[in-house]
Amino acid sequence: MTGTRWRAGARWRAGARDAALLAPSLAALALLFGGAIIGAARVSLVPLGQGPTLEAWRDLFDDPLFADAVLFTVRTALLSTALAALVALGLALAVRRRGALVRILLALPVPVPHLLVATVAVVWLAPGGLADRALGGLPVTPVRDPAGMGIVLVYVYKEAPFLLLLVLAALGRGHQESDEAAAALGLTPFQRLRWVTWPTVRSPLVVGSIVVLAFALGAFEVPLAVGPSNPPTIAEYAREATQGDLVSGQSTAAAALLLSAVASIALAAIAVRAARDPQGG
Amino acid sequence: MAALLASAPLLALVVRAFADEWRAPALVPQQLGLRGVQIAFSGSSAEAFGNSLLVAVATAMVALVLAWPAARVLGERRLRHPAPVFLLLAMPLLVPSYAVGTGLTEWFIRLGLDGTLPALVAGHLTFVLPYVVLVLLSGFGPRLTALEEVARVNGLSPFRRLLWVTLPAAAPTVGASALIGFLVSWSDYGTSLALGGGRPMLPVVLLPFVGADPQVAATLALLFLAPAVGVLAAATRAGRMPL
Amino acid sequence: MSLRFLASVTAVTLVGVALAACGGGDSDVGTGRAAGKPTAAGFAPTLAAARGQTVRWWMYGGDDKVNAYVDDTVAPAARKLGVRVERVPVVDTADAVQRVVAERRAGKTSNGSVDLIWINGENFAGGKKAGLWLKSWAKGLPNSRYLDPKDPTIRTDFQVPVEGQESPWQRAAFVFAHDSDRVRTPPRDLDGLLAFAREHPGRVTYPAPPDFTGSAFVRQVVAAKGEDAAFAYLRELRSVSYRRGETYPKSEAELSRLFGDGQVDFAMSYDPAFVNSGVRKGQFPRTARPFSLADGSLQNTSFVTIPANAAHREGAQVIADLLLTPRLQAAKADPDSIGNPTVLDLDRLAGRRGLFAETEDSKYLLSDYGRTLAELPANRVEDLEKRWTLEVLRQSP
Repeated sequence: MTGTRWRAGARWRAGARDAALLAPSLAALALLFGGAIIGAARVSLVPLGQGPTLEAWRDLFDDPLFADAVLFTVRTALLSTALAALVALGLALAVRRRGALVRILLALPVPVPHLLVATVAVVWLAPGGLADRALGGLPVTPVRDPAGMGIVLVYVYKEAPFLLLLVLAALGRGHQESDEAAAALGLTPFQRLRWVTWPTVRSPLVVGSIVVLAFALGAFEVPLAVGPSNPPTIAEYAREATQGDLVSGQSTAAAALLLSAVASIALAAIAVRAARDPQGG
Repeated sequence: MAALLASAPLLALVVRAFADEWRAPALVPQQLGLRGVQIAFSGSSAEAFGNSLLVAVATAMVALVLAWPAARVLGERRLRHPAPVFLLLAMPLLVPSYAVGTGLTEWFIRLGLDGTLPALVAGHLTFVLPYVVLVLLSGFGPRLTALEEVARVNGLSPFRRLLWVTLPAAAPTVGASALIGFLVSWSDYGTSLALGGGRPMLPVVLLPFVGADPQVAATLALLFLAPAVGVLAAATRAGRMPL
Repeated sequence: MSLRFLASVTAVTLVGVALAACGGGDSDVGTGRAAGKPTAAGFAPTLAAARGQTVRWWMYGGDDKVNAYVDDTVAPAARKLGVRVERVPVVDTADAVQRVVAERRAGKTSNGSVDLIWINGENFAGGKKAGLWLKSWAKGLPNSRYLDPKDPTIRTDFQVPVEGQESPWQRAAFVFAHDSDRVRTPPRDLDGLLAFAREHPGRVTYPAPPDFTGSAFVRQVVAAKGEDAAFAYLRELRSVSYRRGETYPKSEAELSRLFGDGQVDFAMSYDPAFVNSGVRKGQFPRTARPFSLADGSLQNTSFVTIPANAAHREGAQVIADLLLTPRLQAAKADPDSIGNPTVLDLDRLAGRRGLFAETEDSKYLLSDYGRTLAELPANRVEDLEKRWTLEVLRQSP
């Protein structure tokens, strides 16, 4: 009896301690991030020198261009994320036993900012770029491709190494031991992939993919450098809005960005649910 | 092969930086020169480099301190329902940085903090902290807990446990998360512009040249990449990064 | 700290010496009796208050020659007056204006972080409507006596009356470029351009509005042909454009790169010296030449404005006045510098007119831009950009 109560008390104390340990990070984020969102919402609802109005939001939903932008953004972001995850997984299986040099070279795009990767992509792949000069003509033109092929390509190049790092971190010694044990038990390579490797990498892959997807949904640097002029991505749409009418544009931009934020968070919630335990089983 | 494919494109930046004239159809530059270097290092680039370095180091440090306890709790899986905490932590990553910059500017101006280094650190922290927590938590787990338990049983004081057991064991992930934190802050354009109040920061100085002047942009890009690649190489050489 | 203090003390001393020494005649800024005009005398308190201030000048930062002009010509001249100039580079002037809007939203009515903005058109008009700018200061600048107050491009900005809320700095004219090696004779007018595109499908394009240059090209067509005829023209041009008009360059810089790499036959810019700088940057071949169209060229003036909440408004006015001195305007007109035509009225310069005689002809600069097309009203710009997106860009080929 007393034992149970003691354990319950201990558990409560442990819970309280964990909460206290989480508090600094969560409080800092709640303050900064919450502040930012409230600020952005205010901008979208209260244009400079006016009372509260829903005009910016109405403008947004009335604009056929914004609908184009949403569809295009979601399509390219999903495609980029899926391809990057596939490439990362393939590379991880190929290099998991390789030395440091190969891994460093593969990781090189991780610290390079997106904007620079996009710039480099233009140097190489644009019409008149290096590839064009070397090959005497391009079989396909990804830069400014109306379907967004250039955007997808740059994101895969930039994000696959990032996912690769996460996956390789999970495929550490523990995994190697289990894998060898499974081999000793006579499991085929495919069975080991399905029952040993996949459960190990699923969670980091899902968490990483959420980050990648969210980034692709919200960033404007890459589409600006290699995306088509039409349709724009949501973030580009927002940027163009601020370049138009100074006052109402700011509100429209804030509304568009908030909407994309809500969409990302909803997608992430679904993905986390689908992955059950985000830290892996 | 794949490794070469990943790294080779970046070499074009080096050539571009030192090519005074490089137009199609030439595969090699028509003329090499230092025009890019001369322009890139005039104006406020040096000051911008210093500001960015200071802010990025400070942001990574503050993020590490704030993230450490949270990463422990999450890494050791002490929570029964970690998903909501994860979602909360990751939320800033799911929002366009442009939106955060716009949203925060007004508050910081009201508080009279805009344009100060602490304001820039705080703004960058919004994106840096989630990355740092997410990377750092992979360094904690049952193995480390067991090691610490052994140390405790052998009578090491908490401080010595931290110094001799916990830190060395977690060093690779601490290094990796510090690197990620540094990089995210170092390359952030949106909040640097929105909260900087005109203070020169490297991405802000660089961006106008991207497109308008490829040679200067490439030169500044090399300056931009130097610390990142340096830290990456040093960390991997020491064999301490989970690469 | 101490160094900076020392520097400012030195600067103030120097200014004192300079003021005592000149007292009239040839100083850069009208410092008193020189002009014998009330404006000059009225400016003395501003000059005094400006001493020791650091002016943060937010401006587009992607043009190395403009940057160098500000850092190497304007800043030293300002230092002699005890004012420091700090250039804040932005990608788009709208970024600077958004900053002022954010400060206004936050109720920061003084001590703002933007002292001076290089601006014109929509950005100026929007800010004026929102009451962001300092009022009627530009008329009080001593050097404004060199301006022609009746000139519509000085009195108005995209047809919006300036009313002393901004002071002129640069003149711009819309010019095109061709490679004289590839296209010996460029098109004469807009119809010639369309005919050229029909003959050479895929070799003509322009940046997509709302890019500044692309938007100006659309206005150039509208000003020459009238709005509806202009959109019919642009739709026709689209079908024979670069990549069949499915996509356009996103900026002037991108068009310049395509032109330099021989992917298209013409480049264009609102900077009349852009061929000069393109060749200097190694981006254009040395055989590139500027040309204008017989339908006329859009021309405008760009200005500097001071936000109403600027922390250093006196210093900003001193800089704005400095930018109008004949010596600095002449330095800017030099093809080796920015190569930009002066905003001053040469007939009012009297003895200093000689400064401008030295600017010799350059094959990379046009001496005459042809018929002037006036800029459209600022509030039509955004509507035209929207209409272009919906009727030209989004229309299926």
